[in-house]
Amino acid sequence: MVQRFLDPAVLTSISSLELVAKTVVEGFVAGLHRSPNFGFSQEFAEYQAYTPGDDLRHIDWNVYARTERAYLKKYRGETNTLLTVLLDASNSMRYTSHAVTKMDYARYVAASLFYLTAVTQRDAAGLIVFDDELREYIRPSTRQGQLHRLLSGLEHAEPRARTDYAKPIHHFQDFLRRRGFVVIISDFYEQPDVIVRNIEPLRFHGNEVILFHVLDPQEIQPKLNAPSTLIDLETQETMEVTPDYARKEYREKMDGHIKALQDRAQGAGMDYYLMVTDRPLDDALREYLTKRQGRL
Amino acid sequence: MGFLAPWFLAGAALLGLPLYLHLLQRHQTTPRSFSSLMFFEKRTQSSIKHRRLRYWALLSLRLALLLLLALAFANPFINRSAASMASDKLMLLVVDDSFSMRAGTRLADAKQAALSVLDSRTPSERAQVISLGSQLQVLTQATQDPGALRAAVESIAPGDTRASFGELGRAIRAMAESIPTPIELHLFSDLKKTAMPASFAEMALPPNVSLVLHPVAKDVVPNWTIESVDAPAQVWDPKKARVQAVIAGYHTPAAMRTVSLVVNGKSVATRTIAVPASGRVSVEFQGLDVPYGFSRCEVRIDSADALPADDTSLFAVQRADPGRVLFVHEPSDSRSPLYFHSALDAAAESAFVMDTIAAEQTENADPSRYAFVVVSDVLSLPAPFEQRLRKYVQGGGSVLVAAGTSAAHRPRVPVFDEKIEAPRYYASEGQRFLTVGASDTSYPFVEKSGQMAGVKFYFAVQVDPGNAQVISRLTDQTPLLLEKKEGEGRVLLLTSGLDNLTNDFPLHPAFVPFVEQSARYLAGIDNRSGSRVVDSFLDLRTAKEQSIGVEVIDPDGRRPLSLKEATTAQTYQLSRAGFYQLRLANGRQDLIGVNPDRRESDLDVIPDDVLALWRGNTSAPQQATTAIGQPQPESQTKPFSLWWYVMLLLLIAAVAESLVSSQYLGTQREGP
Repeated sequence: MVQRFLDPAVLTSISSLELVAKTVVEGFVAGLHRSPNFGFSQEFAEYQAYTPGDDLRHIDWNVYARTERAYLKKYRGETNTLLTVLLDASNSMRYTSHAVTKMDYARYVAASLFYLTAVTQRDAAGLIVFDDELREYIRPSTRQGQLHRLLSGLEHAEPRARTDYAKPIHHFQDFLRRRGFVVIISDFYEQPDVIVRNIEPLRFHGNEVILFHVLDPQEIQPKLNAPSTLIDLETQETMEVTPDYARKEYREKMDGHIKALQDRAQGAGMDYYLMVTDRPLDDALREYLTKRQGRL
Repeated sequence: MGFLAPWFLAGAALLGLPLYLHLLQRHQTTPRSFSSLMFFEKRTQSSIKHRRLRYWALLSLRLALLLLLALAFANPFINRSAASMASDKLMLLVVDDSFSMRAGTRLADAKQAALSVLDSRTPSERAQVISLGSQLQVLTQATQDPGALRAAVESIAPGDTRASFGELGRAIRAMAESIPTPIELHLFSDLKKTAMPASFAEMALPPNVSLVLHPVAKDVVPNWTIESVDAPAQVWDPKKARVQAVIAGYHTPAAMRTVSLVVNGKSVATRTIAVPASGRVSVEFQGLDVPYGFSRCEVRIDSADALPADDTSLFAVQRADPGRVLFVHEPSDSRSPLYFHSALDAAAESAFVMDTIAAEQTENADPSRYAFVVVSDVLSLPAPFEQRLRKYVQGGGSVLVAAGTSAAHRPRVPVFDEKIEAPRYYASEGQRFLTVGASDTSYPFVEKSGQMAGVKFYFAVQVDPGNAQVISRLTDQTPLLLEKKEGEGRVLLLTSGLDNLTNDFPLHPAFVPFVEQSARYLAGIDNRSGSRVVDSFLDLRTAKEQSIGVEVIDPDGRRPLSLKEATTAQTYQLSRAGFYQLRLANGRQDLIGVNPDRRESDLDVIPDDVLALWRGNTSAPQQATTAIGQPQPESQTKPFSLWWYVMLLLLIAAVAESLVSSQYLGTQREGP
C-alpha cells in the first residue's frame, strides 16, 4: 500500500514538491521498519561515562536517578554530512513516454533526498542546476528555510539548452569546499569518457560522487511500429529510423553506453545507479542511504 | 480519332489527385520527439522499398481509372469508312403482308423486290426477314445464309391483319437498343395511310436505323367494300329478323352495285343499290330464313375492283325455338301477366313465349319445360309445385319472384326462402314513394334499365338478405333486387310487385329493357354478336371456369390451341378471316364469322412528304431505293464510337484497383 505512493506516475498528481518529498520519504521510512541495516542520526549509539568538561545537556538523568552515576547519551546522527545535488536541466530531460518526464522524476529524487537530509537528518543540503551553463546554485546550509529554497530551486529548473558537463562542473568545483556527497542526476547523453573526465575532479576533493542515470523506458527499449522520423530534443536534428534498427542495434549501443559509463564511473571511484522513470523512487533513496551508512 | 464531348477531357485534371495523395502525402509522417539521436543511425528499411513498388502499381491503376473515366465522358470515336462499316450493318427486310396487300399483285411485287435486295447484298452482310401485320413476325434470325433468307421471303403469304407502322416503329426501336451496329431497314409495303398511328412519333426510328422504302402501290385505286353488317346472332322468328349492311366506296365513282345475302352458300336475297362516289349506302334485308342450328351467312357485293377479298362480310346466325316462360300469378292479379307479357313481346326478336297460369292451377305444372319461371306476388303455392320449383332451381333453372302485397302475408318468400321482416307501405308512411338508391350496374338488366331511375315504389317487402346478393336498394336501404344462387340455378327477387299498384315500374320505359334483359339473364342467353374483326380477342372462359378445356377450330379446320393452351388460355386472338367454330368453357357451342379490319379497304397511300419525314431526309424514295446494293464512295466515313471499349477498360481498371488497394491496406493493417 505504501509502495503505491512511491510510484512516479502517482506522484505526478501531487502538485507540491514538498508534499511529494514528504510522501516519498515517510513512506520509505515506514517501509524500512523491518530492515536492521539502516539507521538515522537520531538513533541511540551508546552511553559514555561523564568526565568533567562534558556538556551537561547530554547527561541521561534517568540513568543517574537509578544508578547515581552520570552518563552521557551519545547518538549516531550527530555527525554532520553535506549533500550537494547536481541536476541536469537540459532539453533531453524533457522526454517521456508515459506520465512522468525524466525531469519530473529527477526533481522527485532530488526533493526526496533534500527532505531526507534536511528534515530527517538535519544535514546541510545544496543544489546546482546546470545544462551547458551553471543555471542555479543554492549553497548547502542547515539554516531555517533551506528546504524551501531547495524545493523552489527544483521547481524553477525547467529543461532547456543542451548538456555540457565541462563548463558547469568546472565552475562549481569552487563552491565545494567542504567534503560531502555529490549526487549528479542526469541522462548522461555524452561519451562516458567525457563524463567521467569532467566529473572526476569532484572526487579528488574527497567527495562521495553518486551518478543517478535517469532514463525513460523507451530510451532503453524503444518500440517503433513503423519507420519513423525522430527529432532530437536538444539539437532538433531529424532522422528517419526503422523499427529493426531500434530493436537491435540501438539497444546494443544503449546497453554498451550504460555498461561503459558504469565501468568508467566505478573505475574512477564513483557510484553509478541507473534509474528508469517507471520504477519506484525508493531505489534512489536506498542507494543514497546505503552510501551514507557506509560513510558513517 | 476524335471526341464527341471533348470538354469532358478537362476531367483529366483529376489525375493530380492521386499524384498528390501518393507522392506528396507519402512523406507527411508525423515526426516524434526523442531525447537524443546519439545512438541512432539513418536507415531505410527493405520493406519500405517493397511497399513502394506496390504503391506505384496502385498509383498507376488509379491514374488509369481517372483517365479512362474522363475518356468515357468525352466519348471518343474513330472515323471508319462506310465500306468497312458495311460488313457490320444489319439489313432488315420487312415485308407487309397485311390484308390490303391482297390487292392486285402487291404482295408478289413486294416479295420480288425483297428478293432483288437480297441478291444485291454483299455475301458478308447479315440480313433478317420480318413480316409486318398488326404485329411483327420474325421469320429468320440475322444470318448471312442466302438460302434461308430467300426461303423466308418466299414463304410470306397474304394475311388478314391490319398493318401498323406504329408497331413497326416500336419493334425497331427495341431492336436497335440491343443491336449496336447500324441497321438498314427495307420496307416493302403499299404504304397505306390507314397503317399510320395516331401520333407520328410512334413511327419514329432510332438514329442508327436508315429506312429504305419500297412502295409497291404507285397510285390510288378505287375499292368498294362492305363496311359493316348488322345482323342478329340468334334468330327465333325468321320473319322478324333483318340484316342491315353498309356499302362503302373509297375513291370510287358513283355506280350501281348488286348486294347479295348468302346463307350457307346460297343466295337468298339480292338488292341493287346506287353507291355514291366515294360514299356510303345502307341496304337492308327483311327476314332471315335460316335453318335451325348455326348458319354461315355473308353479305356480298359484285364490286369487280382491285381488292375482291373485302367484297364479302361474314356473320353467323343461330336459329332456335323461342324460349318458354311460365308466369305464375294470383287469379285476382291480371295486371302483372299483362305488363310482363307486353314487355316480352315489345322486346325484339320474340325470343320468348309466355305461358300464364294461376297459382292454384300449378298443381301439375312442370317447371323443367320452361326457360325460366316468374312467380308474381302469390299468396300461396301448392306444395308439390313449390317442391318441383325448388328442384328445378337446384338443377339449373331460374326463377324471378316478385313479392307484392299478397306475398307480404307470408312469413317467408317462396322459393327464395328468406324471411320477410316487414312490409313497407311508403304511400301511407308519409314518404309517398321511394326511388332506387344504389345499384350494381354489372348486371345487364340494371344497366340497360338505367338503374330504374325515376321509378316510384309505393310498397316493398323488407326481406332479410341472408346469403343473397343485393343488386339494388331503395333510398332507405331496403333491398329491392336480390339474387340468390341455389344449386346450379338462381333466384331473382324483386321485393315489389310487377303490377302498377305497388310501383309505377310497368308503366315506366325502363320496364321493357328490364324485362328483356332479365329474361335473357335468367334464360342464359348472352348478348353476343355473330361477327368479329381480325386481331380482336375472344374470351374463352370466365374467372370461374378455370381448367376447363375449350376448343377452337379455325377457318382451315385446324385446332390452333395446344392441349395445355386449351385448358389455360383466357383469350384467343382471331388472326384469320373466316368462320371459327368454338366450344367454350361453359359448354356452349358457337360459330362466329371473322372479317378483316375494314380500314384495310381504304387503299389511300401516305403522301411523299410524310414518307420523306419518316426516312429522316427529303430525298425522293426512288433515290434511296436505287442506292441499295451500290458500293458507297470510299471517301464517305462514319464515326464509330469507342465508348463501350473505354467502359470495358474502365471496369477492368476498377476491379484491379480494388484488388491492389485491398492488398495494400491489408498490409498496412498487419504492420502495427
